[in-house]
Amino acid sequence: MSTNAVPVATEQYNYGIVKKFAIMAMIWALLGMLAGVYIASELAWPFLNFNIAEITFGRLRPVHTTLVIFGFGGSALFATSYYIVQRTCQARLWGGKLLPELTFWGWQLAILSGVLFYMAGYTQGREYAEFIWPIDLLITVVWVAYFAIYAMTLVKRSQPHIYVANWFFMGYILAVALLHIFNNLAVPVAWNSLESYSLFSGVQDAMTQWWYGHNAVGFFLTVSFLGMMYYFVPKQAGRPIYSYRLSIVHFWALSFLYMWVGAHHLHWTALPDWVSTLAATFSILLLLPSWGGMINGIMTLSGAWEKLRTDPIILFLITALAFYGMSTFEGPMLSLKSVNALSHYTDWTVGHVHSGALGWVAMITIGSFYHMMPRLWGTTLYSTKLVFVHFWLATIGVVLYIVALWVAGIGQGLMLRAFDEYGNLAYTFIETVSFMHIPYIVRAIGGAFFLSGMLVMSYNMYKTISGARQPASTESRAAVAAAAR
Amino acid sequence: MIGEIYEWLGDMENTKPLALVLFFVTFVGIVVYVYSGKKRKQRLESYKDIPFLDDDELDPTHQKKQQVNNDESTGK
Amino acid sequence: MKHESIEINSGLLIVLTLAVISIGGLVEIVPLFHIKDTVEDVGGVRPYTPLELRGRDIYVSEGCYACHSQMIRPFRDEMLRYGHYSLAAESQYDHPFQWGSKRTGPDLARVGGKYSNEWQTQHLADPQSLVPESIMPSYSWLLDTKLDYSQIEDRMVALKRTGVPYSQSQEEYDANVEKFGKAVADELHVSNAKQSLEAQAAAEDWDGKPDQITEMDALVAYLQMLGTMVDFSKYEDGHFNQFR
Repeated sequence: MSTNAVPVATEQYNYGIVKKFAIMAMIWALLGMLAGVYIASELAWPFLNFNIAEITFGRLRPVHTTLVIFGFGGSALFATSYYIVQRTCQARLWGGKLLPELTFWGWQLAILSGVLFYMAGYTQGREYAEFIWPIDLLITVVWVAYFAIYAMTLVKRSQPHIYVANWFFMGYILAVALLHIFNNLAVPVAWNSLESYSLFSGVQDAMTQWWYGHNAVGFFLTVSFLGMMYYFVPKQAGRPIYSYRLSIVHFWALSFLYMWVGAHHLHWTALPDWVSTLAATFSILLLLPSWGGMINGIMTLSGAWEKLRTDPIILFLITALAFYGMSTFEGPMLSLKSVNALSHYTDWTVGHVHSGALGWVAMITIGSFYHMMPRLWGTTLYSTKLVFVHFWLATIGVVLYIVALWVAGIGQGLMLRAFDEYGNLAYTFIETVSFMHIPYIVRAIGGAFFLSGMLVMSYNMYKTISGARQPASTESRAAVAAAAR
Repeated sequence: MIGEIYEWLGDMENTKPLALVLFFVTFVGIVVYVYSGKKRKQRLESYKDIPFLDDDELDPTHQKKQQVNNDESTGK
Repeated sequence: MKHESIEINSGLLIVLTLAVISIGGLVEIVPLFHIKDTVEDVGGVRPYTPLELRGRDIYVSEGCYACHSQMIRPFRDEMLRYGHYSLAAESQYDHPFQWGSKRTGPDLARVGGKYSNEWQTQHLADPQSLVPESIMPSYSWLLDTKLDYSQIEDRMVALKRTGVPYSQSQEEYDANVEKFGKAVADELHVSNAKQSLEAQAAAEDWDGKPDQITEMDALVAYLQMLGTMVDFSKYEDGHFNQFR
């Protein structure tokens, strides 16, 4: 390992695997968001269940969550982490040709078969961990390979320091391994049966599941995407991260605190009080590193704010950070026991998740992809104008979505706890359902906006990639690339 | 014995200060380390240039140069 | 040790990260298995009968938990609407737990016995026929699908491995007779499973189709048992507060 960080000019990165994952991320995003818009519409217009078992809300909901979290989010993470680790280590991806391919095909097979099984009625009944046990085993194999590839690429890097983005990716790989294994401990009905029963029951099972459930959000959807942020925001802005030292504090504080907060999903339940109080306390503390990270990202742009007007990719990245800041403020607030008493079990939680998932996770990915994909194919973006169009479709979509579910969630929460002058319950449950009809329609429209933005992006990407495949001499392509920057 | 420890931990009055101490020591330790020392500042902050050291953008001043060899690795 | 050694040593980075992310889970989860008061000691809670167990499997596989919770919180409005707040003991045989996280429909923790079998069957088959504003999907196919209980013994044995007291040996059976009484113990005996399932299905004719055992039979049997195991009239008001 040389201390002189001049990369070898002949070093060749494994971009093939990055391209594959990036394309699949786009495909899963379209399918997963389509499923999301469909189930949102089922809540507004229940006839859409059509009395067909496979597409009822209960079976399609895990299809939606799995496709967007693990299909879109997961594939995007594989793509960007493989891209970043190679470029910041200046080393080719470890594992030869075979091992990265194994992670690709194994992951895609898990997603596809997983959702088909849900539609057929095979699920573990654990939120965000519905995969049946044989698929859990497949995911474990893929994840071990992913860990090996990532760790070994770090080991053989030609850059003495490990850039902070890689810490975040490593933290996410380790945490997800831990969570996946312990939350999926189960006893199969028989060796040839697809069904199983979880090893733990009741309180212990609930605690394990929400330790998993919240950290799926914390590590799969936050820590990892912060890795993406720490690379692509500086790259696209053309300036280094605001404070490297802040990123070190950010990493350790976030990794430590996140694992404590899962039990805030179980306030006021049969879970012992001491656990949920502990979780609430740590949830509040979590605000500090979260905002530290947000400030670090946004301040990277300080002195170059005019880019927000001219560069829609920067617009995506910075808006993502703004939504990250908003939802990491809303999260600790929802974890307060008094607020949670109202918000829990209502759509406020669902809205909160989507301000994080659409506003933060999807937008930071979209921005990163607009930066990365043209570079992968050695070309330039087909249309910058369409990126602006996408930005506005996405932003309007998220805002409609969140506002609709604030109304639905807070409204339902208040109605359910209202009493009339005689001390009787003021509303029946079904009255709250009728109340939510209009917000549910608005929510579905918001989702449709976001989905249409993804369609615009797909078209833009398709034209970008197919443009790159046109026969052209290396020189002219390089000239195009240079002109674009 | 181990049961007693759990009983002790199960009491919120013990757990709260314990958690506070655990977190606080970790946090203060990291912050003090990271933000003390001028040399350390220089060293740590120099790492933020790593994303700009890869093939196509070698300029350490972060001003993007018009390089023609962009992404030639993908062409292979 | 300098922080620099973490930054330049990927092995150390991995080990330290692993340590840091493990603490939270260890502190919050492990004690739950050891502190006695986590699960209250109450009478009446028993494992599911074979028919209820199959009903529960259907509840899980249809994703009912996506819209219905099974966890009543200790608030005045919830206790008026649904009944006594849920105890940890009441889900001690739930693999997996089904507390849920969202109430698009009402909580079901104590739905058992609130409506007749006919109502439940009609409501599942066509919710809007009973509650016009309902947004619940129709589950009419449950009425036409014969219940598959060929693997019922395997299911009970699998659950037994996780710690549910289904009995296979004479001693286990005797222990269950002592703990739950003979009638219940008979239903929890693995080799009796098929007979017991068929008998329970026939006894109440849950879905109005006496000639066959459908998935509807199992699901309604499960719903009608929910929240009925603990007899709260036996305990003083506030008795369970000590466990919170």
